[in-house]
Amino acid sequence: MTEIFRTRDCVVFFKGDAYAVAVSPQMQQNGWAGGQAVMWDDSPLDEFRVTYSDGLYGGFFLWGSDESSDQYVSFFKNQIAYGFGVLCLGGWLISTTTYEKYTYASRTGGGPLVPIVYTEGVRVRFSLRGYFTTEDEWTPSGHAGAPNNFYVGSITQSPKASNSFYLGIQTAI
Amino acid sequence: MPPEQFRTRDCVILLKGDAYPVTVDPVMASGGWKGGQGVQWVASDKDEFLVTYSDGLYAGFALWGSNESSDEFTAMTRNQPSYQFATVGAGGWIIMTTSFEQYTYASRQAGPLVPIVYNASDRLVFSLRGYWTKEDEWTLSGDPRAPNGYFIGFVIQPPSTATQQYMTIQVSI
Repeated sequence: MTEIFRTRDCVVFFKGDAYAVAVSPQMQQNGWAGGQAVMWDDSPLDEFRVTYSDGLYGGFFLWGSDESSDQYVSFFKNQIAYGFGVLCLGGWLISTTTYEKYTYASRTGGGPLVPIVYTEGVRVRFSLRGYFTTEDEWTPSGHAGAPNNFYVGSITQSPKASNSFYLGIQTAI
Repeated sequence: MPPEQFRTRDCVILLKGDAYPVTVDPVMASGGWKGGQGVQWVASDKDEFLVTYSDGLYAGFALWGSNESSDEFTAMTRNQPSYQFATVGAGGWIIMTTSFEQYTYASRQAGPLVPIVYNASDRLVFSLRGYWTKEDEWTLSGDPRAPNGYFIGFVIQPPSTATQQYMTIQVSI
């Protein structure tokens, strides 16, 4: 039985650094899940702006843009309306559903989906769409920056029924 | 001249970073640990954050030992092993500790003990038993994970008579 209430995309057990940043038009239009990684983005304005991570990082977003827990409250779609998100970096202890469930090869190869096996203590980085993963997606995708050694944390809890298939992560960003 | 720092615990804190309580596994609870002991995440059947002795990986270090002399005759006496928890330090710290490898890995396996000579600015990892060391024991022991690139700090003060043989470390986890 799950002993911890996990009612959001990203559940926080220990808080690190957090500050508000502007989001790119692309993010504002398409939204994001809590725990989504973001990286710094150019802006014509004098603002700190981020967009979806492609493996680089500014940090991760604390709250999703349209989470069920925000329905019927004043926070409802607040971030999208005003074009901001709350960026997290430094040391956090979190539990999130925003991680890659299947290998990059199986997601892009057209074959059957192959689950990624997460193990406690293994380091994580961000995938090409800014989800937590153990895989280096820069190398198989031919990314110019390969290999991706921008590690952002370690696994504290592998996903399983007892934790509602959330991934536990100790971040170090 | 007497030392200017009071060193009455295994791990003395000069600057505090992140700290949170975690569950310790039965091996640690029965075996005990020193303050400054490195710990790493392990899998658990329950929805908990569980650690055990580090073997070179890290979650952080145990702030307090399980049975330190400074805790005798207080409510803290063997409190942690009884309730199977420890307080883990991660992020940035400055600590002084005796929980470091004093002798080379090779000499601890066979032959006369050879002291490790630490110098200021040496980079540190955890040894196979979770003590701070400058040696890569994964490579020396033939561990398939070698080399150990999980650096977790720098030496500020090498152990000496002036420091009562404590090592001062800038932690970066």
